[in-house]
Amino acid sequence: MIDVRALRRDFGGIHALAGVDLHVAPGERRAVIGPNGAGKTTLFNVLTGELRASGGTMRLGDTDLGALTTWQRARLGLARMYQRNELFDPLSARENLLLSVTSVRGAYRAFRSPGDGEVAAANVILGRVGLEDRAAVRARALSHGERRQLELALALARRPRVLLLDEPTAGLSPAETERIAALIAGLDRSLTLLIVEHDMDVVFRLADRITVLHEGRAIAEGTPDEIRGDRQVHDVYLGKAVET
Amino acid sequence: MLARAAIVLLAWIVLATFPQWSGSWDSSRFAAGIIRQVLIFAIFASSLNLLVGYAGLPSLGHAAFFGGGAYAAAIAAQRLGTDELAVSLGAAILGAALLAVVVGFLAVRALGIFFLMLTLALAQMVFAIAFQATDLTGGSNGFSGVHRPVLFGVDFNAANDLYVLVCAAFLLVGLLLWRITSSTYGRALVGVRENERRMRALGYDTRTLKLSAFVIAGASAGIAGALSSYEFRFVSPNDVALGTSVTGFVMVLVGGAGTLLGPILGAAVVLLIERVLPSALPAQTVLGIVFIVFVVFAREGIVGAVRRLARA
Repeated sequence: MIDVRALRRDFGGIHALAGVDLHVAPGERRAVIGPNGAGKTTLFNVLTGELRASGGTMRLGDTDLGALTTWQRARLGLARMYQRNELFDPLSARENLLLSVTSVRGAYRAFRSPGDGEVAAANVILGRVGLEDRAAVRARALSHGERRQLELALALARRPRVLLLDEPTAGLSPAETERIAALIAGLDRSLTLLIVEHDMDVVFRLADRITVLHEGRAIAEGTPDEIRGDRQVHDVYLGKAVET
Repeated sequence: MLARAAIVLLAWIVLATFPQWSGSWDSSRFAAGIIRQVLIFAIFASSLNLLVGYAGLPSLGHAAFFGGGAYAAAIAAQRLGTDELAVSLGAAILGAALLAVVVGFLAVRALGIFFLMLTLALAQMVFAIAFQATDLTGGSNGFSGVHRPVLFGVDFNAANDLYVLVCAAFLLVGLLLWRITSSTYGRALVGVRENERRMRALGYDTRTLKLSAFVIAGASAGIAGALSSYEFRFVSPNDVALGTSVTGFVMVLVGGAGTLLGPILGAAVVLLIERVLPSALPAQTVLGIVFIVFVVFAREGIVGAVRRLARA
């Protein structure tokens, strides 16, 4: 589903991505882990087109993403849950979701309000992430945990084929983390997930396979058990994350 | 919704029949003239509000489309030798829209303050053209002797007839903007205003979306420009100048950006200060003070302040 080869991104003389290869099968749940500065968020930004690649190729299914803009990639079925919430703050949770739902049919309906079907679809997603009681509350007034739920809902409402999750549990309490992790675990298995996450319990719970990124390269890939036993991974990352 | 539509329609009828029911007043003719000008500038400010208030695009060059429309209406009527409303108004809408496509195509590539500076610079170029193309525009002398239009043989030459035309145009543009801003399209513009990055990630081509809003706003400003040329029988480079852009911007901010009623109230406040205040008072100073008071104490304008009071 995702086929990334020799992907590079330079910032001046710094190689944030120094030739990353990544192959994710349809329906697979892949975690990308690594220390801060390993290039995880840069990888997401290049995949969504918010940053231009310096070299290498990316494919989503059969489509080469290289020449496509961010919105074209979104229309192909690539969605993203941002690490820092990207919401429409003055709008209610339902209005937020309507913007995601209506994007499927496009914005150029200057004389028509969103259809009943679209409102219903927005309500369904609200229910799925547990925000049905908060539908009329402005995004700005939601708690941080609820805002993360809305952030996830925004990414899901367009029915993507591939979902990039950038630290879905960032800044959440244990109870909120459990809630988001359960939501992600319960997603349809046909959806391909790419998860960047620092909470190793969440990673080992959600991921089918794990890729370890270090200094802009994928230094290891395997099942959670394989990664847990990998000495190199231990040295660069897991040792710190697990023991502290 | 229906009750609100009824109130709006009733208010409009009262407004549109003002010259009739106020006929016995001493200052009826003067007041009707002020109302015409308020409505013309209300159309202008409302069109700018689609950009500033809804799409979050702070344009400082909107006079280019107001004046561009005014010139297009006057020139088309003169060159084609007709006073038909469809010709001059059509030329104004088309001319302003085409100009907005060109200006917007360049401007929507920039964000925030850079968008503002780019619209300012491009509008100054339009001003320079209006100033220098003497054969077409009359240059610094302006374009005088503009005829008032004719529709289906009805002549809008008399002040009271022109009044009806301006009221009708105001209603139509107002209803159009009302429908647009509450539609799926208008919601998408608000989405761009609030978080363009997320809109792109949701699959919206935000650049084209912004350009389309720019063209709708430009064409609407062109309608106001054409009406202004009928009203004053005169078009001058002042109509495309920075001062007119700023006046529109002040109207939007004083009235309340992002609300439908705001720019209309803003146009009324600004024009009443400029035209009705006793001449002993310096109008521009008063306007400046009013503007400062709103920016400091009521950033959401008249409509925002009233809403806040109503809630408290």
